[in-house]
Amino acid sequence: MRLSPWRKTSIAILSVAILNMGLAGAAQAAIVDTSALVTTDREADLGTVRAQLDRAEVRAKFQDMGVDATAVDQRVARLNDRELHQLAVDMQNAPAGGDVVWIIGVVFIVLIILELTGVIDIFKKT
Amino acid sequence: MQKRAARVAARFATFLAVTTLLSACVARGPFIPASLAPGARTSVELDSTPFFPQKRYQCGPAALASVLVASDVVTTPEALAPVVYIPARKGSLQVEMQAAPRKFERLSYLLSPNMDSILAELDAGRPVLVLHNYGLPMLPRWHYAVVIGYDSARDRFILRSGVKRRDEWRARTFMVAWHQAHRWAMVVLRPGEIPVIADPRLYLQAAADFEHGASPENARLAFDAAVRRWPSEAVAWIGRGTAQYRAGKLAEASQDYAAALRVDASNAGARNNLAQTLLELGCPRRAREQLASVDFASLQSPLREAMTDTRIHVDAAVSQTSADNPVCVIP
Repeated sequence: MRLSPWRKTSIAILSVAILNMGLAGAAQAAIVDTSALVTTDREADLGTVRAQLDRAEVRAKFQDMGVDATAVDQRVARLNDRELHQLAVDMQNAPAGGDVVWIIGVVFIVLIILELTGVIDIFKKT
Repeated sequence: MQKRAARVAARFATFLAVTTLLSACVARGPFIPASLAPGARTSVELDSTPFFPQKRYQCGPAALASVLVASDVVTTPEALAPVVYIPARKGSLQVEMQAAPRKFERLSYLLSPNMDSILAELDAGRPVLVLHNYGLPMLPRWHYAVVIGYDSARDRFILRSGVKRRDEWRARTFMVAWHQAHRWAMVVLRPGEIPVIADPRLYLQAAADFEHGASPENARLAFDAAVRRWPSEAVAWIGRGTAQYRAGKLAEASQDYAAALRVDASNAGARNNLAQTLLELGCPRRAREQLASVDFASLQSPLREAMTDTRIHVDAAVSQTSADNPVCVIP
């Protein structure tokens, strides 16, 4: 039996509509996030629990560190679980780029001189 | 007599030490290679990169504004301070610098820690955000700056840094400061751009992070580029499929998921998403075929629940309908 294109289309649309009626619950798609598929964290179950703790901790630390209260929520929301964990662990000591260049450490100047004169070589090809 | 000999020996030793130092100094050639690849340029300056002089402690927002505006985002350091600046730390953290571009529908990618990857980005026209350390591990002084060019003849890097619009750095000095900051370098990418030197796993991670807040169209562009560059990466296909799915293009999504499975038949995530998409296309029987081969017991936890859920819906749909949608095709 050959169907006209019009009938084919109608059947397709109707079928989808009927299916959708029957599957109102299934429309809550169970698509798995791509990020869940690239992460190397095997303890994903633990991960969700951990993420909640991390989120609370990072939020508290942001407030302690003088971040404007209205911005805290947005900043926490922008971070994924991995990033939240990094911050929760090391927000106090992680590198914070900030100051202007010319306050160059004395040690750094010594380091540069040593490097320039070849006494040390920190860029040995590995 | 002995004293005299000792003095001569001491002088000789000093002479030796000094000449060794000097010769070592002379023996070292320029740091920046004359050209990265045959026919590549020997100097680049991305002159159009905007410059925002930093306020006290706020090199983070200033440098970030520079690379964001260079990628066509409309923003300012003042607007970025509430996004990345932490008053008590008098600075900005790398994690937040990396997360911020997502707010503007841009990806961020951390370059592999070598000079070549910086030079390659400059050659491609992208300025590079770097972290420098002008101290030591015990006494660090962190600073963000933007590399906008290099000159291999003069062995110099050209930066937008602090309050200097154009700051030239001897390449080796630059490298010391960068090395002391664990060679952290980041580029901002428009959806669809991939760094010249890129690791597929790291790019796909960046794209997956980007996907969450991005529009389906921008997510599609980001993964589409990955599919072209690394067609043998299943996650690239899955990412594009999910972007299509979110845009409501179910047929295209099912084709991408099927392509992911051709690359990696064992990818349970791709199979789940394909089954779910087929179900929504009105093809529960096709969906059930996909799930038939899955060994549920071997799956990791969140994926196992998702797939079990999908299977319940698929089975219900099969029992509620007499046949699959006539337009169902096997992707």
